[in-house]
Amino acid sequence: MFSSINSRAIVPVACAVTGFVIACCVLLYTFVKDDLVKGEIQHAVDLSDTVIKSTRYAMLKDDRDTLSNIISSIGEQNQVEHVRIFNKKGLIMFSRDAREVDQFIDKSAAGCNECHAGTVAKRSLGTMAKARQFTNAEGHDVLAITAPIYNEPECSNVACHFHEARQSLLGTLDIGVSQAPLKQTLGQLQNRMIMFSGMVLVLTVGAVCALLYSQVFLPIKKLVDFTEASRGDILDDDFPEMSGDMARLADAFQKMTCRVRELERRDQAKGSKSSSRESLL
Amino acid sequence: MSQAGPHPEVQQIPGREDLRQRIEARIRRMERASGYGLWSMVLFLLVSLAAFDGFSIFPDLSEDVRKFLGAPPPGQMISLALVVYAFSSIVRTLARMSRNIQPYMGLMHAAFFTAFYSFYYLSGILQDNFWAVFFAGISVMGLENYYLWSHSSEAVRKERALLETMRRNGDGERG
Repeated sequence: MFSSINSRAIVPVACAVTGFVIACCVLLYTFVKDDLVKGEIQHAVDLSDTVIKSTRYAMLKDDRDTLSNIISSIGEQNQVEHVRIFNKKGLIMFSRDAREVDQFIDKSAAGCNECHAGTVAKRSLGTMAKARQFTNAEGHDVLAITAPIYNEPECSNVACHFHEARQSLLGTLDIGVSQAPLKQTLGQLQNRMIMFSGMVLVLTVGAVCALLYSQVFLPIKKLVDFTEASRGDILDDDFPEMSGDMARLADAFQKMTCRVRELERRDQAKGSKSSSRESLL
Repeated sequence: MSQAGPHPEVQQIPGREDLRQRIEARIRRMERASGYGLWSMVLFLLVSLAAFDGFSIFPDLSEDVRKFLGAPPPGQMISLALVVYAFSSIVRTLARMSRNIQPYMGLMHAAFFTAFYSFYYLSGILQDNFWAVFFAGISVMGLENYYLWSHSSEAVRKERALLETMRRNGDGERG
C-alpha cells in the first residue's frame, strides 16, 4: 500500500489533516453549544425574574386568584413546559397544572438537590447553578430554573398579611422551558459543520494531491519510465515543460544518457578496430 | 613528550563477524522501536475505550480526593490546550519528516492524551469532548507512528542490504 511515492506522501498527511479538522470541529461545536446553552439559561433566568416581579404585587396583597391567573397565563405560553410556586416547606401553592397544587415537591429531585444536598440548605445559587436539564414525563427535553422568592421589608411589615422578618426565604418559583428549539438549532449547526468540514477537507486534500501529482509525481513517473525503458538518447517530446529542480533533474538524466551512449559507441568502435586489426594480421 | 600511539585494542579493526553481529543488533533494535510505537497506539486505544465509557471501570473519586485535586480547569482552557498540543505535534512531526530526523516513541503522546481525557473527566465534560480528544490523538499518534514505521523500515532495509553485501563479499573471497 505504501510502496509508491504517491501514497507515502499523501496518505499520512491527508489522514493527519482530516483527524485534526474533525477534532477542531468537535471542539468548535462544543464551544458553540456551551454558548447557546448559557444564553438559553440566561433567557430562562430573566423569564423567572420577570415572573417574580410581575407576581410581586399580587403576593403583597395576598391576592391568590390573581396570582393563580398569572401563573396559568404564563404556563399557557408556547415553550413553557411547567411553572409552579411552592413554599419553603416544598408544598406547591400555584401551578399551571392544577393537579400539582397542594402536593409536596421531592427535595431529592434534580434541581432541588443543588441546595438541599447538605444538612443545611444553600441560601443562594449562581445563575448557571439555578438551571437543570432533564426529560419530563411527556418525553420533552426541558431546561428548568428554580428562583428563590426572598423575604423583603414590605412582606413582613404589611398589616394584612405578613411573614416574620427573620424568615429569609418565602418560597421558590420553578419554571421549565422546552429545549426543542435549542436542539433543533444545534442539529442544524451540526449538519452544517459536517458539510462545511467535508468540503474544506475535500478541497484541501484534493488541491494538495492535484498539485503534488502535476508538479512532482507525474514528472518523476515520466523520468522513471524513460530511464527504465532506455529507448532513446533524449527525453520524449511530450515530456512536460518543467522548471526548477525537476528541469535540472531531467537535464541531468538526458546528459547522462548521452554520455553513456557516447561511451558505448566509442567502445564499439574500439572493439571493431581491434577485430579488423586482428583479421589483417 | 610521549610518542605512544593509540591502544592496540582501539586500533584493531573489528572483524567481519563482529560487524555482522552489530548490524543484526541494530536491526533488532529498530524493529523493537517500531513495535514500541504500535504499543503506544494500543495503549491510547485502550484508554480511549475506557474514556468512552466515562471511566466506569474505575471507582468514583471520593470528595476527599476531589478536594485534594482542587478545582478542575475550565473546559475551554482544556480545549484550547488540546488544539495547541495537537497542532504543534503535527507540525513538529511533519518538520521531523521533512528533515529526516530520528522519530521518537509515541508513549509521550499517549500520556498527554490520557491527561486530556482525565482533565475533561474531572471537569465533567468528557462526554461532549471525547471525540475531539480521540480524533486529535489518532491523527497525532497515527502520523508519528507512520513516520516511526517508515523510518525504521527504511533503516532496516539499508542494514539488510549491508548484510547482503557483506555476505556476497565473503562468498567472493572464499570463492
